[in-house]
Amino acid sequence: MELIGYTCSYTPVELLAATGFKPYRLLHGNVGFITLGEKSVRVDACPLVKSNLGYIMANQKKFAAVVGSTGCDMARRMFDVLKELTNIPVYLFNNPRTDKPTIFYDEIDWLAGELECLSNKKINSEILGTEIDRWENARNRYRRLDQKRASNPSLISTADFHRAVMNYHKGEIGSAININENQSDKPRIYLLGSSIPYEANQILELLELDLAIVGDFNCGISRFLNINIKEKSLNGIKVAYYNQPPCIFKRPNQPFYEFIGTQIKELECKGIIAWTLDYCDSYEFELKRIGRIFELPVLRIRSDLSFQNLSQLKTRIGAFAEMLA
Amino acid sequence: MPRCWLKEFMKSTWFEVARPQKIDLNDWSQHFRLVRDEQIKEFNYYHNPEWGIYLSPPATFMVYGARELKRLKFDNSLASLRMWGFVFNESERLFRAKQMGKRVIATMGDLGTVPVIIMAFPNCIPFYPECIWWTPFFKESTVLLDTATELGIPEAACFSKATLAAFHKKAYFPKPDLIFASTGASCDDYSCIMQLVNDLGYEMLWLEIPFRRHNDEQYPDRFEEYLISEYERVWNKMVELTVINDKTGLIPSIKKANRLRSLAERIKQLTYEAPITPLPALELMTIEFGNLYGYADLDEWLDIVEMINETVAKRVEKGIGVLKQNAIPIAWITPSADPLLLNLVEDCGLRIVGTEYVINQALVPIEENVEPFRALARSFMKASLIGSTQERIKRIIEGVKNERIKGVLVTNMLGCSHCAMETRLIEKMLSKVPVLSIDVPVPFGITEQLRTRIAAFAETLR
Repeated sequence: MELIGYTCSYTPVELLAATGFKPYRLLHGNVGFITLGEKSVRVDACPLVKSNLGYIMANQKKFAAVVGSTGCDMARRMFDVLKELTNIPVYLFNNPRTDKPTIFYDEIDWLAGELECLSNKKINSEILGTEIDRWENARNRYRRLDQKRASNPSLISTADFHRAVMNYHKGEIGSAININENQSDKPRIYLLGSSIPYEANQILELLELDLAIVGDFNCGISRFLNINIKEKSLNGIKVAYYNQPPCIFKRPNQPFYEFIGTQIKELECKGIIAWTLDYCDSYEFELKRIGRIFELPVLRIRSDLSFQNLSQLKTRIGAFAEMLA
Repeated sequence: MPRCWLKEFMKSTWFEVARPQKIDLNDWSQHFRLVRDEQIKEFNYYHNPEWGIYLSPPATFMVYGARELKRLKFDNSLASLRMWGFVFNESERLFRAKQMGKRVIATMGDLGTVPVIIMAFPNCIPFYPECIWWTPFFKESTVLLDTATELGIPEAACFSKATLAAFHKKAYFPKPDLIFASTGASCDDYSCIMQLVNDLGYEMLWLEIPFRRHNDEQYPDRFEEYLISEYERVWNKMVELTVINDKTGLIPSIKKANRLRSLAERIKQLTYEAPITPLPALELMTIEFGNLYGYADLDEWLDIVEMINETVAKRVEKGIGVLKQNAIPIAWITPSADPLLLNLVEDCGLRIVGTEYVINQALVPIEENVEPFRALARSFMKASLIGSTQERIKRIIEGVKNERIKGVLVTNMLGCSHCAMETRLIEKMLSKVPVLSIDVPVPFGITEQLRTRIAAFAETLR
């Protein structure tokens, strides 16, 4: 057992890493895993959740524990399934939907205590300080790459960036990051929506045949760069994770729109790609608002992660790019 | 004179002596002639005999658009007639409340607790806009659901999406004076719906629902404190609105809620345990959901439930009921938005002896010997959807172990976040008995195939 799985952007990786296990973001989107997952949940569950479930079931021995938050309802309920079907210890913390920092802070304290018991290790400020440095350094390296992606013209593709950040999400933060610069003068667009799983890199490649994705708000790509821990302590972790740009499921979600609006303006985007996974309520319910609030052309891409419609998608993306150009 | 006397005698006694049975709309219209005029005047909402009369045959509501009523069967007691008249009258009642200067408060998402606080304020009427989810089915109309789709809700979503359309159309209930929207460790669908209601321009006070990590007895104390601070916010907002700040009002409000909860529980127990089912499942579900807010007039609803309780008790005492004695006992998990399904299940020879309709928080007694907000927080911590699936169905598991429950029916909605994740797990946890899991179809969408599945399930149990 070497991994400690986690499912949510609000989970502090530094705290997980302090246990000695490698934090591994559960971001799988593979049809084989989905089929496995569907043995335990209905077909109309989120494909990412089904796939993650399948991945964990197939790799149970790798996981020392899995940590999640109450963020997305389906992701939260995956822990009930895990409890019933596996012996992996699971920890689920309250991630308040409304502005309730106290709840979040109390829960991170609780989680720290649980992780100490799990690892049989005192998570003191020294250990946390070391982990904060390690992960903050990693984030800084990725931030530099992100600046290149965001520059005008964009110097690296999001598909390449995504391949690189997989290491961060899989806990491999020591590995070297090599991305060749590849300037793009294609229409600049912003990507937002449901998670981009490891296996969905091909979608990014397809999009960037005609477009340049210069910014995103998706779990699985650059959201972790919004974490900036200023105080090297558990308190610093709590504050940084709580105050990250809010997820769309926060209520009310006006601050989410304000953050994205600013990003889109700063990055000089001409359009938006709204990527949603089947049955992802948080984004699917908001698609109309996204179009109305940002007043930009929106291309909606809905996926069950089977990637069976790539040819059709290619045509749609091409038409969208033509419209923007 | 003698004929007139005889007529009056017949009217007064018919409901006493009639054999309990499920009857259709036409039968009810016939029987309604036997209801005395005084009786019609006797039952009224908001204590107003002038315009608060609601007793009428169900056909009245069909004329006003509830087309499914012509396909439903109802219990033939006067108490049930009274109940249906009252329930179908809710929309009128809410508009009346507004007209007469009462404050109409929308409580969304928590299903059962915030209304107890609202009712502590005089002339304040809480209601749950999400209860409109039955309307498309009663009306056999997809207007509300289609409108919700036009407003941005995906087709595969909980039928409570009708709520957004109702807010948009402004015709199903008056504009609320305040809206309390509870979100957090509950289903995603409704949280998203509330956000879209907010986006229509309705201001709301958002309340946080904590996740119950441990079981409903062992959760950390601080979870209660979170809820108490939310209830303080509700209270302060209500004080701002009404300029009344008298917390002693909470005590009678809790007592009333408890009276209702204990009556509903008594009716359920009598019905579940009687050798012959004294009350149909449809009426029983309507009673259970009445616990949420008394269909916008708690005093009158209490009176109705008292009357139903008496009816049920008498039937049990006499050993009579509405279903055959050999009806097979099953449990029902997650409520059906289509009332017709409850009829169908009974038509197939089944009887409901246990439910988990996601409103456990509205069924449990509220402690009366602790500070009111703490008592409310404790009752809410027993909510159905804020903990694990295992806990949610523990009473059903118990019933299966005791061999009281022979099968389980789970109704789902396509795309609903908790249905998608819980149903297979429920099937696994209840593997000792047959479990039938069905998707509730859209209004007027019950097919022969679905009927056959239910019939086959009943056959298997038999």
